[in-house]
Amino acid sequence: MNFLDSYIYYIGAFGLILIGLYIILVKHNLIKVIVGLGILDTGVNLFLISVGYITKGTAPIFSRSGIDSEYMVDPVPQALVLTAIVIGVAVLALALSLAIRLYQHYGTLNLRKIREQKW
Amino acid sequence: MVNPVLLIAVPLGLAFTIPLFALFWRPAVKYIPPAALVFNLVVSLLLLAKVLENPVIVSIGGWQPPFCINLVAGPVGVLFSAIIALVGLLVSIYALDYIHPAPFTTKSFFDVERGGVKEGPTEKYHMLYLLLLTGATGVVLTGDIFNLFVFFEILCISSYALVAYLRDKGGIESAVKYLIQGAVGSSLLLIGIGLLYGLFGTLNMADIAQNIKSVSPISVFVPMVLIITGLGVEAAIFPLNAWLPDAHSSAPSSISAILSGIAIEVGLYAVVRVVFTIFGAQSFLLFLAFLGILTLLVGEMCAFSQNNIKRMLAYSSIGQIGLILFALAIATSYGVTAGLFQLVSHTLSKALLFLAAGYMIYRAGSMEISALEGMGRKMPLTCLAFTIGAFSLVGLPPFIGFPSKFLVVRAALATKETYFCALIGLALLGTVIEGAYFFRVVQVLYFKGEKPNPGRKEAPIVALLPMFIFVALIVIVGIYPKLVTGILNSAATELLSRSEYIKAVLGSIL
Repeated sequence: MNFLDSYIYYIGAFGLILIGLYIILVKHNLIKVIVGLGILDTGVNLFLISVGYITKGTAPIFSRSGIDSEYMVDPVPQALVLTAIVIGVAVLALALSLAIRLYQHYGTLNLRKIREQKW
Repeated sequence: MVNPVLLIAVPLGLAFTIPLFALFWRPAVKYIPPAALVFNLVVSLLLLAKVLENPVIVSIGGWQPPFCINLVAGPVGVLFSAIIALVGLLVSIYALDYIHPAPFTTKSFFDVERGGVKEGPTEKYHMLYLLLLTGATGVVLTGDIFNLFVFFEILCISSYALVAYLRDKGGIESAVKYLIQGAVGSSLLLIGIGLLYGLFGTLNMADIAQNIKSVSPISVFVPMVLIITGLGVEAAIFPLNAWLPDAHSSAPSSISAILSGIAIEVGLYAVVRVVFTIFGAQSFLLFLAFLGILTLLVGEMCAFSQNNIKRMLAYSSIGQIGLILFALAIATSYGVTAGLFQLVSHTLSKALLFLAAGYMIYRAGSMEISALEGMGRKMPLTCLAFTIGAFSLVGLPPFIGFPSKFLVVRAALATKETYFCALIGLALLGTVIEGAYFFRVVQVLYFKGEKPNPGRKEAPIVALLPMFIFVALIVIVGIYPKLVTGILNSAATELLSRSEYIKAVLGSIL
């Protein structure tokens, strides 16, 4: 129980990462692969947040009195996650717009049927 | 003193003014990238003289390292940013008049839009181009590992979009492939960075390097493998390079030149910086040397069997990356100097080859090597440039490829270790294969095809000028390698001496 308490966020994060990787590797439909990329991104972001997480944590504002510095949450991972979310949005948007173009060219989103380029 | 921040700030700022210029004064748009890159080149050269004595550390936001994001403009960073600015400048001059060849993909839904770099709306091309080079400059200058990730993403996202720029079947398909593999790689890189932050509570590369011995090796091993895998996708190290031949052959030729000449080199720089400076992983180097030779042989053998000229050049890039990785993994002062020299030589030669091939493909209307028969008589100057690039890449004497390959061989033999001597033998085998396929193309250009083809004329002067500047650089450095070896030596010293790097960044507070 104690183990679950302290590691539950890491387990969840790596679960999401593995689910995302599984979808990317196995699914044939490009939209599903892009969804997999989204899940992978979410997992990575959750992992970054849980690196800095403290139970009953508060915002790290030093100028306000009455806050115990022991419970201040590390702000750096949260800043990293903000950046990572923005980057993830850019990649997903580009991927979706490429998916539209790909459908217009091939009439299908099945990646196993789109094999113009190899070796 | 010139501030290295300008190397990133000026092109980044100018990149976002391009859409504004396109609203009010469209003809000016295409001159912005050359202007920004001239500025970068001048600043890099000014800095280069200075950083050979002392690296310039810039702390952003007024905090001291390790709390701030800092730029480390050492010999390596400034050398790379000078190369990026030089190659970027010449390719952007080439792009002023480069209309992408359309004829060889006939069925397209976007025939009206896809006029190419000249006829379509060009501001997106120039903006993404400048962003790509900004990302590359940022990666080589930054001293903060998360910042490295961010610049890496700028580089990657703009190159995904540029690969798909022509919106034809092949371009979109290879961009999708590239994007999926690149995005998974970036996620792995980010997980690795997160693990490092969890271990050390800092993102400053020098600070991590300083504390790396304080935790058990196995807990450092996992983030190291994740980071190297993530960066290895962009650096096209062997099992991770499936995207490269597609992406490089379907992009517009000017972009292929940049992807091949700069993007993968920057990926390789990041791998080497992480292995040498952050982790100081001596025991990992032999593995990297094996991977390098494997990459070299796979790339050269695939290149040998190609009939499509751009695909052949793309596979040849994989081979060259393998050779550079091998030379860097020797990790003696000789070896790293030779690796960096080989990197410079590959950048110049491969950019020249793609630029020359771009116009040859355009005039021939096909990427097949057999379609280029007799080009030597119709486009003598372009074919001369192509031939010089090919000879230089193979390593024939008067050109830059000769001293660089010679140094790689000498460095491998100087280690006096059986592995390296055996591996360099395999590398020389790779060079023989390389010679075989490049000479085949040169033979097709000059000695085959009798039928006259009046439609093929010489490339315009705006495209020939950058090509012949490349040719001049290749020949001059090939004859006087001492012009660059001094700089390369101090760059190699910076990569190899971790303690100097840590002292340079953190010295003020310790």
